Amino acid sequence: MAENRFDGETYRRFCVLHRFLHIVVMLGFTGLALTGFSLKFSAQSWAQAVVYLLGGAGNTGYLHRFFAVITYGCVMVHVLWLGYYKVVLKGRLTGPQSLFPRLKDVSDLWEHILYFLARGSVPRFNRFTYWEKFDYLALFMGMNTMGLTGVILWFPEFFSTLMPGYFINLAQVLHLYEAIMAVALKFVVHIISTHLRPEIFPLEKSIFNGKTSEEKMKKEHPGEWEMMVGTRDQVTPTPATEAS
Amino acid sequence: MAIFLRENLMMKVVSNLGLILFLTCVLVISCVGDVHALVPSPTVSSWFVNMNDFSKSAHGALSCETCHDTMKDSKKKHPDPEAAEFLKKEASRIYDYGRCKSCHRQSYERYLLGEHAKSLKQEQQKPGPEGAGEPKKEKAPTCGDCHSAHYSRSHVSRLETGREMTEVCGSCHLAQKITYLENYHGKTAVNLGDTASAYCTDCHGAHHCISLKEKKAALAACQRCHPKAQEMFTEFVIHPTTKDLTEKDKDKAGRVAVIKAVTAIMSILVILVVCFFYGHSFVWLLRELHEKLRRH
Repeated sequence: MAENRFDGETYRRFCVLHRFLHIVVMLGFTGLALTGFSLKFSAQSWAQAVVYLLGGAGNTGYLHRFFAVITYGCVMVHVLWLGYYKVVLKGRLTGPQSLFPRLKDVSDLWEHILYFLARGSVPRFNRFTYWEKFDYLALFMGMNTMGLTGVILWFPEFFSTLMPGYFINLAQVLHLYEAIMAVALKFVVHIISTHLRPEIFPLEKSIFNGKTSEEKMKKEHPGEWEMMVGTRDQVTPTPATEAS
Repeated sequence: MAIFLRENLMMKVVSNLGLILFLTCVLVISCVGDVHALVPSPTVSSWFVNMNDFSKSAHGALSCETCHDTMKDSKKKHPDPEAAEFLKKEASRIYDYGRCKSCHRQSYERYLLGEHAKSLKQEQQKPGPEGAGEPKKEKAPTCGDCHSAHYSRSHVSRLETGREMTEVCGSCHLAQKITYLENYHGKTAVNLGDTASAYCTDCHGAHHCISLKEKKAALAACQRCHPKAQEMFTEFVIHPTTKDLTEKDKDKAGRVAVIKAVTAIMSILVILVVCFFYGHSFVWLLRELHEKLRRH
């Protein structure tokens, strides 16, 4: 907290578990992309170089499944946490300050596009903006579908007793195109919108140290800030976003 | 001095831009360009023999007469320009490959049981190109069409044989070669050199060359590496192409159509989503840059 002392009040935006899961998913996702695309684009020399360094196609496939297990493990831990948050902490999984999509996100997107075209101002975002919700939900759903198609490709002998063999082909197609979409979005859109755009450049630290300042809260999440200030006056802090 | 500094700066900008351009080109070329030129093209037997290369081949220790004893028997001069077929037909169509049997007995007998021998028989029964039926573009393969009797080397590794066979089989079965290389088996076996994976003949049999359209034969082929595979496993499409399918293969044609439809839908979806968010990010960046610059 020392480094933020002079920035005014420090808010805790992400708890330790979420920061840890973000780092593990970040590494797991990168590993999956590297090993997966090296196998897919195996005719290219860069892919052959990567596979050579990793010790052959068998090892690359093994590492791909290793990263997959780790990454999907994060999904399961996260789902368990959602249950804990709901049942023990009595938190809300829906509502304006949650990641659950709402109609406001559509109007926020529209207003934001108008702002890009100099036809308005930045909408008043709540705790999670529409692009953060998209990042989260796309990854959450994507990991489940990638996990499902991936498991089919992992155990084709077993799954071909449950479904026709050409479903393995379909799993292959879905796995590939979703991988392309995920990599194209995460490595470009996610990194630009959270880290590289001029307002934030070079790095948004809050996902790594969990902290954000009052100034940033007012600017980036005015809806949440107002709500927190309002509730703090009534001394009922929300569990996920307690002020420190 | 000022001009010098400015030039220096210009040089930096130009060289940096050049570097970025160069790296982009490298990236694009490495992604788009096909660097799959590792496989040497097979040399085919013809009327003329390169004795240097022949002496290095598997048959290099044999004398010409071991295989070509007719040229001694006929007691004619060799080469014989008066012979009716001299240089007029492909050497590999005239040579009697039954002779290979005296050394390669098992391979030859397997060949006789397989699809290649069947199509050769059909070709021989039909009258030549001048007959009623229209001439076939592809000729039925004999030994010499796949193997080069004069130049094939011995003691070649499994990987090298596999890569060469992909080209040899692919010279007639192009759609199958392409789809094989798109499949896990081809990628790992040919591109990445994993010899635990399957090459053409591992499933189709080296000299049998069976089509695997029959489920029983296909299952037996799958089970050689996937012992737990059940009957439905054989419906996995290794070669998603409709080439060489007959009326009887409607099932496979349907499966290929479904695979192609799903591929098309997914590619449209991916393009739409990625284009939307790339455009969104790009305009956003421009807007924030504009704001930043205006404030200065």
